[in-house]
Amino acid sequence: MKNRLRVLRAERDWSQADLAQRLEVSRQSVNAIETGKFDPSLPLAFKLARLFETTIEAIFSDEN
Amino acid sequence: MECKTSNPAAKRFMRRNLITMLLYVLSLVLAIGVFLRYHPTGVLAYLLAVLPAIPLTGLLAIFGLYLAEEKDEFQRSIGVQSMLWGIGGTLAVTNIWGFLESFVHLRHLNPSLDAVIFWIFVGISIPFLLRRYR
Amino acid sequence: MNCSTNNPAKRRYMWRLAITMALYIAFLVLAIVIFVHYRPTGPLAWLLAVLPALAIILQIAAFGMYLSEEKDEFMRNLQVQALLWGIGATLSVTVTWGFLENFVHLRHMDLYLVYPLYCVLSGLALGIQHMRYK
Repeated sequence: MKNRLRVLRAERDWSQADLAQRLEVSRQSVNAIETGKFDPSLPLAFKLARLFETTIEAIFSDEN
Repeated sequence: MECKTSNPAAKRFMRRNLITMLLYVLSLVLAIGVFLRYHPTGVLAYLLAVLPAIPLTGLLAIFGLYLAEEKDEFQRSIGVQSMLWGIGGTLAVTNIWGFLESFVHLRHLNPSLDAVIFWIFVGISIPFLLRRYR
Repeated sequence: MNCSTNNPAKRRYMWRLAITMALYIAFLVLAIVIFVHYRPTGPLAWLLAVLPALAIILQIAAFGMYLSEEKDEFMRNLQVQALLWGIGATLSVTVTWGFLENFVHLRHMDLYLVYPLYCVLSGLALGIQHMRYK
């Protein structure tokens, strides 16, 4: 699923490893989500939204 | 899994299943027939013996395709879990039987039966998995 | 596999793996020694033969616990995919071998080899998965 994770990360100057540590997942997971190869579950999506102080829809865009 | 279903992935799965099972029966009959009458040896014998194994392996591939095509993530999750319990049960049985074979000379179990044991465990696990979500 | 890890689920699994491995070796040695020296029969023989298999079953259970405890859903997903590929590969081998046993009298496959075979094939699949998703 398309997302703005890379942009949001860059705004805070976080590497993928930094984000992974804050989410308590592996760096590969963050990369997979960022490149759209893997969709996070609801709990993880909410975690991301809370971390970036925004909504899930603001991060992920579901283009049908 | 219900037998009447409007789910396209499930329907495709059952159709492929049927075709594969037919192929298996046909190839088995062919192999047994040729062996009984002509007693082949060498490469031909090996090829004939392996022929029925191919559709049986195909069943696994078909189930894998089903899991990949199934859009309903809940059904897919149940399918995946049932396969894991299937292999868990199969490994338990083959280990116990294997050690009994070695130590107390229990009758040898043909390895192709592992696949049968696998599908039995898969089938048994499904109602238990669904029970949690009544 | 990362042996240095701060993942609690993985650490717990490695502990359980080590313990069950030790149990397996201990039970196997015990069974072999007693069988060679005392040649037991009846229920005692069966019990001794089954003990190593029970250790393996505990090992399988430990891995099942790891799967349910792993919080990183992507990693768990990769692991499960590898396990499914492992099932396909392992059952292909056993089914083919079984047919060869029947038709061309290939030597019997020792059933307790199915578990190590499955571990190796799943491990290979996991390696391939990790390469695809750096």
